[in-house]
Amino acid sequence: MKAVPAAAVFFAAAGLAPLVVRDAFLLDGLVLILVWGSAAAAWNVAGGYAGQISLGHSAFFGLGAYAAAIVVTRWEVTPWLGLALGAVVATAIGLVIGFLSNRLRGPYFVLATIAFSQVLLIVGSRWRAFTSGSEGIPVPFRPGFWTLGIADKRVWVWIVLALAVLAYLIGVYLERARRGYQLAAVREDEDAALSLGVPARRLKVAAICASAALTAACGALWAQYVGFVDPFYVFSVDLSVRFALAAVIGGLGTALGPFLGAALITTVETYLRAQFGGIGAGLVGIYLIIYGCVLIVVVRWAPQGLVGWVEERLRRHGLVGARP
Amino acid sequence: MNAIPQLVISTLLLGGVYALIAVGLTIIFGVMRVVNFAHGEFLMLGMYLAFWAFTLLGFDPYLTLVLSLPVWLAVGWASYRAVMGPVVNASHNVQVFTTVGLSIVLQNLALVLWTADVRFVRTAYYAVVVRIGGAAFNVAQIVAFGIAVALTAALFAFMRWSYTGKIMRATAQDRQASALMGIDTDRVYALTWAVGITCVGAAGALLAPIYPVYPTAGLQFVLIAYVSVVLGGLGDMAGALIASLLVATVEVFGSYLIGTAWKEVLYLLLFIAILVVRPAGLFGQRGAEALGT
Repeated sequence: MKAVPAAAVFFAAAGLAPLVVRDAFLLDGLVLILVWGSAAAAWNVAGGYAGQISLGHSAFFGLGAYAAAIVVTRWEVTPWLGLALGAVVATAIGLVIGFLSNRLRGPYFVLATIAFSQVLLIVGSRWRAFTSGSEGIPVPFRPGFWTLGIADKRVWVWIVLALAVLAYLIGVYLERARRGYQLAAVREDEDAALSLGVPARRLKVAAICASAALTAACGALWAQYVGFVDPFYVFSVDLSVRFALAAVIGGLGTALGPFLGAALITTVETYLRAQFGGIGAGLVGIYLIIYGCVLIVVVRWAPQGLVGWVEERLRRHGLVGARP
Repeated sequence: MNAIPQLVISTLLLGGVYALIAVGLTIIFGVMRVVNFAHGEFLMLGMYLAFWAFTLLGFDPYLTLVLSLPVWLAVGWASYRAVMGPVVNASHNVQVFTTVGLSIVLQNLALVLWTADVRFVRTAYYAVVVRIGGAAFNVAQIVAFGIAVALTAALFAFMRWSYTGKIMRATAQDRQASALMGIDTDRVYALTWAVGITCVGAAGALLAPIYPVYPTAGLQFVLIAYVSVVLGGLGDMAGALIASLLVATVEVFGSYLIGTAWKEVLYLLLFIAILVVRPAGLFGQRGAEALGT
């Protein structure tokens, strides 16, 4: 829609920033914004466009992180293969979940996804022989692009930017293509969509699969960037909530929204961490108190999130045309 | 196998407390059609309340429980008026996000106020063991079971025979018709929410002498409550009670047979299987989940 110029500015700024900014702290923040933004955009494909609200997306993120880490440490091949492998496994699982839970609507689907991510959490933290159990996996640093052993954070910005743009373009596709409209119809009224001949089930499953694969890719890159995979973090409900939070605050079912949401949340979080790290680490939770309140407010008064709210203001002042 | 009596009684004790958590969740769903994703956080707050009353004032957790019942009713009523009331007729997704938002706020409030430290309520009787036949039991567990059963029974009686309980059940059956009959459904929802929160707050006080207290302590219990509630049919109180005992059986016998490390996997897989095969639960009406109720 009209958000495309805004998105172009956002991504161009992110891509050009490394040319100007040399500060490792700021670049680290930018990488995290793009990773969490991509993950939120991936969540948005299932949660926003298809209306399949999941609070178990950390399962796919963790799968990607583990696939990349295990492939590197156990078989000593490139993490890019791990990324691909993670995406394939996540797609397969997304397929199974999509088909099995197809009947489930609303809170039932949420419960099923939470349960699934908890199963993976237990497997990840207890299956010592394969996943190293609760200790997690440190990812070895082997210099080179092929091994993703990159010390220069500027290169990382460009790598995750590519993923972010891909995630954004999927959103744009869903906003403009016939399939996207069909998916929106399924989300708004599945029975009506079915009666018009929309293949509701197939569309929903496809959305979940795409969302899962993209989330896994985020997890794989994140694991290589951070250099450590902790099962209690990558499979946590908190992480799933983080994806959903960024997407809802930014704008449910909008292409740019998840990135704006992630930028807002990550900025405040990083700032508080820098301020209160160490002794007052508990105070970092303040940002989640704020965003929890924001979430409650947003779903009630601005269901289209930040993007929808801004669009509404612009339209009211005649700056952009009405929605098609 | 002389372990059987111990396992059976362990199951009963565990199931009783699970039931109290599950009943609060299912009554809210049954009447309001809302799955409360902040349920675990209210449980956690109940545990903290018992902890602070014990540490600062020297109150026994069971005394706290009795004293806190009106407090929880008030907290429930206030949180309904502030947060849940405005979305009670909104779409499911809005309700999911609202309760998730509430859960984020409460959990991090506990984190900021009381840090992530794991705390314990060390009553004088926490290590006292009772022997029944060949089996040994913690006193706190037995007391928790007794109180949980009494509270659940009281709630059953309230729903079954009191006039207010009848009104609540009528609203659960058909909110439009009951509104037409002159029932103030908004007040019924507020009361339901308050009663559900009171159940889980009381359960927190019961759990405090047995389990460690920390900001995310609610999650493990509320997962079990979700399993029980879905298994029993969302909104079905008797179903939740039986299912709580079933889940406790799976947990106790599972950890005995295959070890404690993997016991959670058992009931989570059971949960997923139920959701896939019969989401309406063992006793619920078929098709309820597809209607989006």
